[in-house]
Amino acid sequence: MKFLMVSVGQARYAVQADAVRRILDPAQEADLHLEGAGAVFRGEHLQLIDLHAAAGESPGRAPVYLLLEGSHRRAIVRVDGTEAIRDVPATDIAPLPPFIFARPGRVFRGVFPDGPSPRLVLDQDGML
Amino acid sequence: MSGPGAHWLIRFNVGGAEAALPLGVVREVVARPPVVPVPGSHSFVSGVALLGGVALPVYDLRRFGAFWSATGPDRGGPAGAPGEHLIVCDWGEARLGLLGDRVDLLEQEGRGDDRGEAREGGCAVSRKFVRDVVRRDEESVILLNPVTLFASLGVPAAGPPRAMEGVGEDDPAGG
Repeated sequence: MKFLMVSVGQARYAVQADAVRRILDPAQEADLHLEGAGAVFRGEHLQLIDLHAAAGESPGRAPVYLLLEGSHRRAIVRVDGTEAIRDVPATDIAPLPPFIFARPGRVFRGVFPDGPSPRLVLDQDGML
Repeated sequence: MSGPGAHWLIRFNVGGAEAALPLGVVREVVARPPVVPVPGSHSFVSGVALLGGVALPVYDLRRFGAFWSATGPDRGGPAGAPGEHLIVCDWGEARLGLLGDRVDLLEQEGRGDDRGEAREGGCAVSRKFVRDVVRRDEESVILLNPVTLFASLGVPAAGPPRAMEGVGEDDPAGG
């Protein structure tokens, strides 16, 4: 499975690559506007999801926006950077136990070994 | 040599309290592996660690407010110090890790319910989670009740395998 590796502050996450429709740099993308708590991309009003608060991180100065498509809807996710696209065998991804989450609608679904610390896999279907 | 009715426990320090769990629920004790925080998880979940290809939830009981009585945590303990060890427990189908320090084996000879200390409020741990208090020399070690503890942590209950038999016995007097 191919994943886009992203950073949110000090945290490092993986997003399933086929769920990422676009990687948007707000400095170069005239069709992207932030509007209140949401975003508008090419006239489409989308939910803006900022993982910084959930991760306990402060937003960076030069964010990158991902246009993500889940099983139910699309949304814009703000991250601090994109690192690489990598192939991760599905067998390397350990599912997260659902009972650790404080609320339904979890943001992460799995974890895999990645250097000194494991990396979490975003759950775009649970989130969107 | 163990006497009749002896039970082996895993003893550890958490938040300054000397605690123990029945050896039957403990799968292994390892040095604390890298733990990645999981946004959206309970506040007392430090994160997950990968252990043998399994995503192991890592619990920090110091952050679990309901676990402590008015006198805990950090009563005489190293405030803010993360546990150096991970006590890996099997609970039904679930596996989880508890952070702790100074992990050791402890033999409990017989069963002497001694939760009076917990009842009297002299215990750092809330009495709901205390199955017994084991005396060793001048020290008191709080034997935790894994049934109430793991249920309160949100770990799903399951049919107890052989290793868990008897670990949830409670005081019939209702203490």
